[in-house]
Amino acid sequence: MQLTYLEAIRQGIWEEMERDPSVFCIGEDIGIYGGAFKVTDGFIDRFGPERVIDTPIAEQAIVGAAFGASLTGMRPVAEFQFMDFIGCAFNQISNMVAKAHYRWGAPAPLVLRGPSGGNVHGGPFHSQNPEMWFVHNPGLKVVCPSSAYDAKGLIKAAIRDNNPVIFFEHKYLYRRIKEEVPPDDYIVPIGKARVARQGRDLSVITYAAMVHTALEAAEQLAKEGIEIEVVDLRTVSPLDRDAIASTVRKTNKVILLHEHARTGGLAGEISAIINEEAFEDLDGPIIRITSLDTPVPFSPPQEEFFLPKVSDVVREARKLRAY
Amino acid sequence: MPKKTKPFRKTTHSNSSNSKPLKPANAQTRTYEIPDHRLERPNFTVRQVRKDDQVRYEVTGDVSAPVPPIRESKYLTKPQHIEIYRWMLLNRKMEAALENLYKQSKVVGGVYFGLGQEACSCASAYALSKDEWLGPMIRNQGSLLVRGFPARDVMMQYMAKAGSPTKGRDASSHFGDIQDRNVVAPISTLGDLIPVLAGVALGARLQGKNIAVMTYIGDGGQSTGVTYEGLNFAAVQNLGLVLFVENNLWGYSTPSDMQFRVKDLAERAIAYGIPGVIIDGTDACQVYDAAHEACERARRGEGPTLIEAKMMRMKGHAIHDAAEYVPKPLFEYWKKRDCITRFENYLVNVKRWLTPEENRQLVQDVDRQLEADRDAAVSSPMPAPETAVPGAYCENGCHTIKPKYAMPKVRLGKSGLKRSEAAVHLK
Repeated sequence: MQLTYLEAIRQGIWEEMERDPSVFCIGEDIGIYGGAFKVTDGFIDRFGPERVIDTPIAEQAIVGAAFGASLTGMRPVAEFQFMDFIGCAFNQISNMVAKAHYRWGAPAPLVLRGPSGGNVHGGPFHSQNPEMWFVHNPGLKVVCPSSAYDAKGLIKAAIRDNNPVIFFEHKYLYRRIKEEVPPDDYIVPIGKARVARQGRDLSVITYAAMVHTALEAAEQLAKEGIEIEVVDLRTVSPLDRDAIASTVRKTNKVILLHEHARTGGLAGEISAIINEEAFEDLDGPIIRITSLDTPVPFSPPQEEFFLPKVSDVVREARKLRAY
Repeated sequence: MPKKTKPFRKTTHSNSSNSKPLKPANAQTRTYEIPDHRLERPNFTVRQVRKDDQVRYEVTGDVSAPVPPIRESKYLTKPQHIEIYRWMLLNRKMEAALENLYKQSKVVGGVYFGLGQEACSCASAYALSKDEWLGPMIRNQGSLLVRGFPARDVMMQYMAKAGSPTKGRDASSHFGDIQDRNVVAPISTLGDLIPVLAGVALGARLQGKNIAVMTYIGDGGQSTGVTYEGLNFAAVQNLGLVLFVENNLWGYSTPSDMQFRVKDLAERAIAYGIPGVIIDGTDACQVYDAAHEACERARRGEGPTLIEAKMMRMKGHAIHDAAEYVPKPLFEYWKKRDCITRFENYLVNVKRWLTPEENRQLVQDVDRQLEADRDAAVSSPMPAPETAVPGAYCENGCHTIKPKYAMPKVRLGKSGLKRSEAAVHLK
């Protein structure tokens, strides 16, 4: 069935709730309204208000309650209306949830999910990609799917995981991409990258909406005879070190592309992994393409300038190819 | 300098009755009730004053009142009184042993005490049944004992031993058990257990069981935003949270008069739409009765209760803190109200449920048990360095997740998965 990215996530959560009575949803306006982006539209009619719980506007309470319920063996799926607001619950996530298994052996099988990302003119508080706040937090898994197929398989894997998973849905992709998604019960394993496009000349390692930017650039570059390989990380914590190393070993040149700010961004971490795993295989400098070290600006011309673009990838790829 | 100086903040306790609310002629006055079970109502104020170029805390009010009796319990049996008394003794003596271990340099880091608050920790936890849950704060080490952790577990935590419940990874009361004792490990930031315990009750309710879940917050910790979020969530969802607000008058070095403006923290319950009660936190019977009634409400599915327990923290914030900022008359006042001395007197002299000989035996028995626990804790090994590595994640089947009480009953509606796309926020 052809499903949008959003429909695939909806189907994934729905199937898990059908399959496992211990799965429930909790969040703001997720019930009768169906969620700010309608991901849980219709869920309350099917699963009842007991399992589709509307909460006060209180992110700390949402995460705390989800964690508490998980201690009794439930598998909560908590929604943030925008992942920008996850900062309100940061202490619960970082100090309470992430450290629980290490400190006192309490598994926390919960999913914290919601829309992130820019290019929708949402401004500084509705466009952020705050995944790095959590990548630097041992005990959490962080997932950022780029396709409808992966989104369904990964949300199902996240719900079944015995660890807290932060699930970043890219809101630019919600209704813009559509693909064939099998109606079967499948999962995409957390922690495994995929090669979204094979190539021999250089690699672009990226994830989420930027995968599509990289693929578009690859199309253009193919016309010039430059074949780039696009690696979609799918999970940003834990990172798939093998996939990173093997694409570098194959193409020997690498561009790291992400939508969040440059300083302290994931590209720095991936560079270090390449340094540790495949330094001898490099035939050129590691190139970073990122957004600016600023908040996400609101006005469309500013936001466009802020975000990495297809033309940035094309330009940097040509330079690196010639290096 | 202005000629007239006055305290920059008025800190009388009668602000709510003194201030004149704006009241139109035809307005209705709504009244709320906060039961106060105490047998005395101390009325003094702590404020900052400048003297000889130094700013100090000073107490004003009557600190010479006679010590009140213990209030007769409506629910406790004679053996239960004695059991609670025993837990309180164990709590205090364990902390005294920890102080000694600290002086012998056997403790890693500091030691936190619940001195003067043992009745509140022990008699509250005693009201929970085995399959209910508790989340202790740093001073509720007595609650952990009541929930079934041996004293050596607490001691090993402080000594960072391999055999401690957290295997050396965390200290003090920072441990829990989701399997048998149903205790959620606290974290150092305040109020965060409140939504978590509410969530435990939510999980149990989804599994068909209304349980009581108990946690604590101090007069300092209740200032945090998560306290509001958690308690409001519990109220809205009608979850069986029993929240003990332990008003021990000091948040580290800051007096409660500088934490909040209401006369009693129990008044906060009104704003959440839940019952609030005031008790004397140094009276084990009052603590138990209030906890028991709140737990019963929780089990009937009637929602949360806020219990303000008034007492004083009789040591500093932790062992490094001599609490010299606390006005001496306050220590003298509360020392006379010591929860263990008074309960002992109640059992031995008032009720005569323990003969002096039986009491001596009981104390000896607690001492002997503690000695064995201390020896076991001291002689247990430190963790091997490399044991720092595993366990950040639950992997390789280290836990099986399954509903603790029962598989939730599923009631499915007829409607199917929606394919329609409604209007949304940000396209």
